[in-house]
Amino acid sequence: MAEAARAEVVALEAFPRVVPGVEPGRVLGLVGPPGSGLTRLGLALLAGPARRGPVAVVDVRGWLCPPAAWEAGVAPERLVVVRCPERSLWGRVTAALLEGLPAVYAEVPAGADEALLRRLGALARARRSALLLRPLRGALPSGLAHLNLMGEAVRWEGAGSGHGRITGRRLTLRAAGRGVGGSEQVLEVLDDGSDALRVVPRLAAAPAGRAV
Amino acid sequence: MVGAGMVLAVNGLAAAAGVAAGMRRRQAEALCPAVVTLAADPAADAAAFEVVATAVEDLVPRVEVADPGLLFVPVSGAVGYYGGEVPLVARVAAAVDEAGGQGGRLGLADGPFAARLAAAAAGDGPVVLADTRAFLASLDVAVLGREEMAATLRWLGVTTLGALAALPREAVASRFGLPGLEAHRLAAGEDRGVRPRSLPEDLAVEERFDPPLRDLEQAAFAARSLAHRLIEGLGPWGGAPHRVVVEAGSPSGETRSRTWRSADPFGEAEVAERVRWQLRAWVESGGVPGGLAVLRLAPADRSDRGRQLSLGEDAASELEATRALARAQALVGPEAVLQARPQGGRRPGERVQWHRWGEPAAPPDRDPRAPWPGRLPGPSPALVPPAPRPLEVEWDGGSPERVRLGSRWEPVLAWAGPWRQTGRWWAGEGPADCYQVVTSAGALLFEVRDGSCYLAAVYD
Repeated sequence: MAEAARAEVVALEAFPRVVPGVEPGRVLGLVGPPGSGLTRLGLALLAGPARRGPVAVVDVRGWLCPPAAWEAGVAPERLVVVRCPERSLWGRVTAALLEGLPAVYAEVPAGADEALLRRLGALARARRSALLLRPLRGALPSGLAHLNLMGEAVRWEGAGSGHGRITGRRLTLRAAGRGVGGSEQVLEVLDDGSDALRVVPRLAAAPAGRAV
Repeated sequence: MVGAGMVLAVNGLAAAAGVAAGMRRRQAEALCPAVVTLAADPAADAAAFEVVATAVEDLVPRVEVADPGLLFVPVSGAVGYYGGEVPLVARVAAAVDEAGGQGGRLGLADGPFAARLAAAAAGDGPVVLADTRAFLASLDVAVLGREEMAATLRWLGVTTLGALAALPREAVASRFGLPGLEAHRLAAGEDRGVRPRSLPEDLAVEERFDPPLRDLEQAAFAARSLAHRLIEGLGPWGGAPHRVVVEAGSPSGETRSRTWRSADPFGEAEVAERVRWQLRAWVESGGVPGGLAVLRLAPADRSDRGRQLSLGEDAASELEATRALARAQALVGPEAVLQARPQGGRRPGERVQWHRWGEPAAPPDRDPRAPWPGRLPGPSPALVPPAPRPLEVEWDGGSPERVRLGSRWEPVLAWAGPWRQTGRWWAGEGPADCYQVVTSAGALLFEVRDGSCYLAAVYD
């Protein structure tokens, strides 16, 4: 943490300066178990593209709650939630959205076909649309995402033993993939519930590893 | 009747108390504290107005609805048939009264613009203009409905339509561009000058349904894709319709038809909206026998210009986004492509008002600006189950010790609460106590009601 305090704290908008976040034509993987805080991060990353046009969330579970996106800076009129519990339709729905929207955040149902995921990646590149994939179970196929953000740890702040309330969180992420030049980076995201989500880069420099 | 905080329509009692259309709602309530305000519902208005439109159509064919409550009737042929303007207007007035449109205002003039203003000026009896141009000449430039242009004209000393019409048309066009040209035409009594372009004759689009549609929502959904096809078909010619004829056919070949008119060229959303209103109006006035077998949209009065985009508006991107969302909607259905807006409430799920994408949102049920004491402040949970799910919790005294997530028991690392939610007691819902708990597998919001625990939200 002492190193974190020394590190540069940048707003989420400057995320690309730290690691290339949501870019047109790129696939971003948000990989981690449920509860690791990646849904909220994915919604926050839609705020940038939402300034250019409507963005969509493919909601497989039907659980998505838009206030988390609104708090992160996505205008309500720019957010469209597409509920798609049927796995057989998921790929076609995501592809249809990629055809015309600047960014799509899609929960990936368990057991999604690898070939389908790669086709969606190719479509995102061809249409210059950003695709954020949040697998609900497991990881993404190797080499699919330009950048993988993996939830390492999350620390919820504010709640005690029967007092206080959750006021914020610190999310530790490991960034890997071509987007960080093949070398892994560790980041910490500070989220206090406002749209001033901040990123603390370079907590530690991990040795170069293979893109996930 | 109010919409977006403005008074849209008033009845006689409210008018007598000084309330008028165009006022802010608060101003109206200050003038008349006993006033009852109703939220605007154009679809319901269209359904109610359908009776009046049908009654007038029985006298004069090819009537055109501009808005629910505003009907244009072409009378050039009917005047001769009924023996003059005054007998015709009297017949129409009687038909409107009989159809339940008491208090309706009628105006007869040489074009829709002047006729609408004549009707607005009508009191108890109809207004039949002998000299349309003279009538227009005395009116203030504000009736053009272009505030900025009217302000500039006044600054230039041009305060009436007569003064505007007296200016050289080239000079007005040079100063104000296309809107100025249109304003000059209207002021001169020439009304909307549509210059037909050499377009293919039949740009109508239709959809056949087998089996026939019996559900209004299904038909409205089909209307949206048809509206999309209609406007897309006109796109290559840069035109947009001022009038759209909506036709619904039954399996037995019976057809119902209605023409909708707009001063500004129709866009896709406007066409879809008018068709939805019209379908609802037909459903509420007997429906289409046997269900909707054919839906047809035909453009008329095509404008000689496309839609003017605002600076920075990227029409191509917007159109692509609309198409993409429409395709997704076709795959998963209209109920699954949603937008949300904030509304008041204490629980996370209550603070969201969902509506279908592409359809107007109803006014919020609960005021989001109200304080809502007991509401959990941010950060909001990202995931909320559609209905609270049973959750197993182990307690030590009054403290939650462990929660069962899947097959594992997770120890509670920190917790906060409880916050008492009184619930909708009038609907038989008991009070609940809400707890935030933090475990190594994530943070949750759960509630305890009637001795049982339910998962209310996940902070993911």
